[in-house]
Amino acid sequence: MLTGDIVEAAKFIGAGLAMIGAVGAGIGIGLVGLGALQGMSRNPDYYGTILTSMILGIAFAEAIAIYCLVIAFLMLFVL
Amino acid sequence: MEAKKKWRWGVNRWWVLLFIILNILAVAFFKPLSPHIQVAPEKLSEHPLFTLPVIGEFYLTNTMVASFIVMIVLILVAYTVKHILSKSTLEPRGIAGALEMLVEALYNMTENSAGKWAKVIFPYFGTIVLVVLVSNWMGLIPGVDSIGWLEHSEEGYPIVNVIPNVLTAIVNGKVAEGETGYIVTPFVRPVSTDLNFTLALAIISVGMTQVIGFKAQGIRYLTKFFNVLNIFKKPFFGFMDFLVGFLELISEFSKILSFSFRLFGNIFAGAVMLFVVGSLVPYFVPSMLIIFEFFIGLIQALVFGMLTMVFMTMATQGHGEHES
Repeated sequence: MLTGDIVEAAKFIGAGLAMIGAVGAGIGIGLVGLGALQGMSRNPDYYGTILTSMILGIAFAEAIAIYCLVIAFLMLFVL
Repeated sequence: MEAKKKWRWGVNRWWVLLFIILNILAVAFFKPLSPHIQVAPEKLSEHPLFTLPVIGEFYLTNTMVASFIVMIVLILVAYTVKHILSKSTLEPRGIAGALEMLVEALYNMTENSAGKWAKVIFPYFGTIVLVVLVSNWMGLIPGVDSIGWLEHSEEGYPIVNVIPNVLTAIVNGKVAEGETGYIVTPFVRPVSTDLNFTLALAIISVGMTQVIGFKAQGIRYLTKFFNVLNIFKKPFFGFMDFLVGFLELISEFSKILSFSFRLFGNIFAGAVMLFVVGSLVPYFVPSMLIIFEFFIGLIQALVFGMLTMVFMTMATQGHGEHES
């Protein structure tokens, strides 16, 4: 039977499908950047504070894409 | 002001040209190959170092070697800084100056958030940032993740003796019939690519948050999770507060998962990308990726530390004390 090949193919398909979740992270990071840029342009004095909060927000939003990546890696390399 | 050497344009371009030529020569002689990637760290010792009754066996893995290197580097930096500062503290030069800048920036951040608890919170913040920073950046040094033992494997590659008895390399190509291929098990692998390390750091971080919460608020810290304050005064809202407290308890566990997977995913994905893109386009793109990984390593260290600091700050403030 072709069980080995089907499992191999299913691994790749699964990894590819798992990464669709990164779309949300991309939109989220874009929105964080939008808010940060608007804030920085309105109050140029608070550049440092806004930059720090922006980095924090980007890391939170990116973590969701990293969860999707971990599931994809799990499918490709471990299981 | 002492006299500095005058900056001349174009001095470093010859070094860059030399490295590009070396790159092209190396790719011409040893064609790049797609490496063997695995999530679990590879064992370097055959027999376990020690065995605990419930948890199991502990081998010497290559990430453990990397964590020893991180510890040695940080201790050496600490002694160097102490030596430089013992001579004169007015304007430290060199690495002591750089570290003073880093520590001052982090301490200012902590003081802006935490106020009077900054002295308790700052050691955790600073240590986490330094350890994670050194262990993330270790993956960019040439030699890490590429020099190691050769092991037999079915999906391996044939080998070539570069320097006899000293250096043997695997090369791209088909394995001859009757022989098994080889893969490389690296001696050193960046310790942040090990889920054990990130999970341990996350548990320490979240655990110490609870300890600091108890230290700051005493037993009233438990009302963050089991919110029975309003349950008799205002029945409906009190019940909602109780459910919100229950949700906070679940979110503490999700913080452990989120911390560990964020750091692991970023650094492991970076290492995998360096391997894979290095095998596809070996000429210029890996340099861009190394710059990107440099940046990502710094950001992830800062984010781990800052989130720890923010959660500890939130643990020291109770209900109704929300300050702006």
